Amino acid sequence: MSYRKLFYAANFLLLAAFGWALFVDYATDWQHNWRHYQATYYKMAGDELDRQANEEKDPKRAADLHDQAKAMRNSPLMIRQIIVDDLGRYDRCTTCHVAMDEYTNPTLKTPAGWDNPYKGHPKVDEALVKAHPFTKYGCTACHEGQGQGTTVEGAHGHVLHWEHPMLSTKLGHIQGSCVKCHGNFETLKGAEIAAKGRALFKQHGCYGCHAINGWGQAVSVGLEAIADKPFERIAGYNYDRVRITDPEHPELGPQKLPENEWNIQNWILAHLTNDPEWVTPNDPFAELNKEPIPPSGMADYSRFVDDHDTGASELSRADADAIVAYLSGMTQEEMIPYRWHVPAPAEHEPKFADAKAHGHYVFQKYGCAGCHGLDAKAGRRRFNALGKGQADYDPKMSKEELFKNMELGREPTLPDLMGTYSHDELVAKIAGGVSAADAKKWNPNGPLPMVYMPAWKDKISKPELDDLATWLLSLAKKDDSGF
Amino acid sequence: MPTLDIEKIKKEVVDSQLWRSVFRGGVWKDTPRDRAAHIVGNVWLHLHPVKVRPRALKWSYTWGMGGISFALYLLLTLTGVALMFYYRPTVGLAYRDIKDLEFAVTLGRFLRNSHRWSAQAMVVAVIAHMVSVFLRGGYKKPREFNWGVGVLLLTLTLFLSFTGYLLPWDQLAIWAVTVGTNMAGATPFLGNEGPFGGLMGMHINNDVRFTLLGGTMVGENTLLRFYVMHCVAVPLVVGILLILHFWRIRKDSFSAAPYQANEEKVEVWPHLIKREYIAAAGVVLFIMVWSILQNAPLESIANPNVTPNPSKAPWYFVGLQELLVYFDPWIAGVLLPGLIIVGLMAIPYIDTNPKGIGVYDWKERAFANTMFMLGIVMWFVLIYIGQACRGPNYAFYPPWESWYILKAAPPSTWSVFGPAGVGALPILLGIPVIGGLFGASMLLPKLIQKELNGKVVLGGFLAALAVLAGVGMALGKFGPVSGAFMLFFGGVAFYFGFILPQRHIRSLDWPRYLVTMGLVVCTMAILLKMCARLTFNIKYVLTIPAISLNI
Repeated sequence: MSYRKLFYAANFLLLAAFGWALFVDYATDWQHNWRHYQATYYKMAGDELDRQANEEKDPKRAADLHDQAKAMRNSPLMIRQIIVDDLGRYDRCTTCHVAMDEYTNPTLKTPAGWDNPYKGHPKVDEALVKAHPFTKYGCTACHEGQGQGTTVEGAHGHVLHWEHPMLSTKLGHIQGSCVKCHGNFETLKGAEIAAKGRALFKQHGCYGCHAINGWGQAVSVGLEAIADKPFERIAGYNYDRVRITDPEHPELGPQKLPENEWNIQNWILAHLTNDPEWVTPNDPFAELNKEPIPPSGMADYSRFVDDHDTGASELSRADADAIVAYLSGMTQEEMIPYRWHVPAPAEHEPKFADAKAHGHYVFQKYGCAGCHGLDAKAGRRRFNALGKGQADYDPKMSKEELFKNMELGREPTLPDLMGTYSHDELVAKIAGGVSAADAKKWNPNGPLPMVYMPAWKDKISKPELDDLATWLLSLAKKDDSGF
Repeated sequence: MPTLDIEKIKKEVVDSQLWRSVFRGGVWKDTPRDRAAHIVGNVWLHLHPVKVRPRALKWSYTWGMGGISFALYLLLTLTGVALMFYYRPTVGLAYRDIKDLEFAVTLGRFLRNSHRWSAQAMVVAVIAHMVSVFLRGGYKKPREFNWGVGVLLLTLTLFLSFTGYLLPWDQLAIWAVTVGTNMAGATPFLGNEGPFGGLMGMHINNDVRFTLLGGTMVGENTLLRFYVMHCVAVPLVVGILLILHFWRIRKDSFSAAPYQANEEKVEVWPHLIKREYIAAAGVVLFIMVWSILQNAPLESIANPNVTPNPSKAPWYFVGLQELLVYFDPWIAGVLLPGLIIVGLMAIPYIDTNPKGIGVYDWKERAFANTMFMLGIVMWFVLIYIGQACRGPNYAFYPPWESWYILKAAPPSTWSVFGPAGVGALPILLGIPVIGGLFGASMLLPKLIQKELNGKVVLGGFLAALAVLAGVGMALGKFGPVSGAFMLFFGGVAFYFGFILPQRHIRSLDWPRYLVTMGLVVCTMAILLKMCARLTFNIKYVLTIPAISLNI
């Protein structure tokens, strides 16, 4: 090949490469490039205007509508964005979702049968959308996702290294965005799933280990900023063990998540639908560390409520999604302007006529269900503590045997114990707590059982303690003779 | 229809005042005079000679690496300026501007990719250029100074790449620069954590690292500072040095290919120019295709509160980061790179071998080529280990192992010479022992005047080591892997550090000999310290915490 030929070939290839780069830029993934969607919208809107023109009786109006249709079809393709000054963002969602742009489509409505991204915004006539004009709030304030993106995957945010992908509307996670600003979300129309999430959070004892803004116990991580948790702090090793059922394909069962679905919503969901002991097994046999480290002390909410494995879950998938919705609003991003916040009404302590009902309320209020089970039915798992059904400790047992037995450790099941306490003894016990040093290990070489009974005397007031004891004593199991 | 006389039109255009005022020549004819005029009469080309030796034109002679490096530099300048239209160097805007390049700017993704891949390619090309010049002896008289300028250009290329690395302001950027600049904090005398730094009154807010960062950690000031260095200051210096570099190439009679009797030179226009064009076109084409097919990495926005595990420097510095496993930062990050730069610049002055200038000659230049290639191989092996084999907590992960498999903490380490309670033996013993060993290794090859049989000596040494390793394994002190390390590192260090110098440079004059052996023994010391750590879990050979001196 002579150099002259090489010269021509090289120049041609350079031009071709440049043309290729332009082509890729304009038409890549033809289906996923914003130009395609915008052009299709203009065509659809133009056709609709033409259809209206054909049905129009008045000829002048019909001609006018035909002109509008022509102008619509010839609209120039451009990136459209909503500049949200208050958040310092610009959301380019309306580049593809043109019908949701108030300037192109003032009614924000489209004919029936139009699907995403061409359809208008749902609930346009409802107070929800009217109270949140898009020009002020943009799109990502509620929907999250990567507002700067102009490709399908990029904008929806289910990509590596984007930590706030779009929240699911189907599963209700989007209602977490209501929680971000609305302190009154529990009584807000449209935030029912998030409200249910908070109610479940209280009922199932989450406050027993997780504090939110100081309320609750600091046994595990505080959750007031859980939606901001950076992914670097979640070990890939643990995320790799998560299995989540895709609601679009329930027949496939729990699946490993691809890395672009590793987001905080799925991480919280994993805690509620997977066994935390499996997701975070740590090192109970001191294979990698000097001291044994017990697996996650969180209960398995995807399984049984009491010690008899009924096969039912304590939290259904819908329940788990509601809690995810609630916790998705737990963010402390300073970027949300102060004046966007809607204050919560003052939370009054409900008054109870019945001491037992009050005691039950107190049990939920302080998160006792976190260790002692939902409604104190059965004590939760406590790794390497003593529990029913454990064999006698034998150092020659295999690792699997040891693990199986250590797993059987439980917190005390209160109905079994209440019969042995008098009212004052019980109040004193709760007020004084049980120190960690008193924990009895099943496997002396295993890890120290986590979670002990704290001293509640500084947290629970005397009248609350009294009623709590009353309620607990009423749960006591009675033997045949009625004692 | 009047026929068009192309030749007449051409002549009229070329003879016009407009044309003549710009191009100063008439119609070009393909004569030797005009071919010379192409070169001499063109400001961009006139640094070339008019004729050149045909041997120098062969691709296999230079691999075109110098020209390719320069072509990449021009491509980087062009794409860099274009990027500057879209990028603002503040912490609030930098990351968002990179995202906008990807999503909103026409050909923005292509532009950014071109810049990033050209930068990586330029680092490789510049190193390849250095290797090819070395192997051709192109640094020997009269080209010593130009070689030094080239070493400076290599350092500045790495620094340009390093400052540019910070600009996207993502997690990759902030932590790679944190690793790199923390090494600056370990500079002897001038760094707050370096040996004697405390004695000089260096604190975190007034040492050389503070100057580099514009603060105590990588932040807003660092970004601005690195932007200015990357776009203005360093390119200006590189430009000045490039002018000097090209000028000296021409003044030192262009190609180092040695004279032959009756050699017929060929004209630069077209023979060299066409090759340069094809090389440049090939480089640009390569970068374009690479940029279309692969996206430059971008992680989540920089977050000073969240450290990735592991955090790594850019690939060209990750070899030095790997050395951090074996040495303190002042050695791995300051002393060794400094020695490398100074050592490279010293090579033309310590290499007195008149053979092999301008040709690849392995036989005549065995010592020079072997030692240099040892350095290059070590550099790239360390890069490979640092890049591909270091996972979470910087534990060693063979490339096929998933980083999700957790590993036990490494065994605890001990120090040989140190203060009571820290080292096994006292400091006052350590200083003469270490110094003595160092000095002895330096002097021994020259003191043994007769030529030793390399095979016999090496064989004997390896046998002795094997016996020691066997004894150690039998006593249960260490396992077979450690024994293998001992044999490998010991053998390599002995061969390159004693046998080769003994054979080749014992006839060198004392000053040159000492400088050469100093560099050789330092290189061997790296290998031996690595062996010490891997085999015996030795953390420091000598540690004097009072002055932050840890070897």
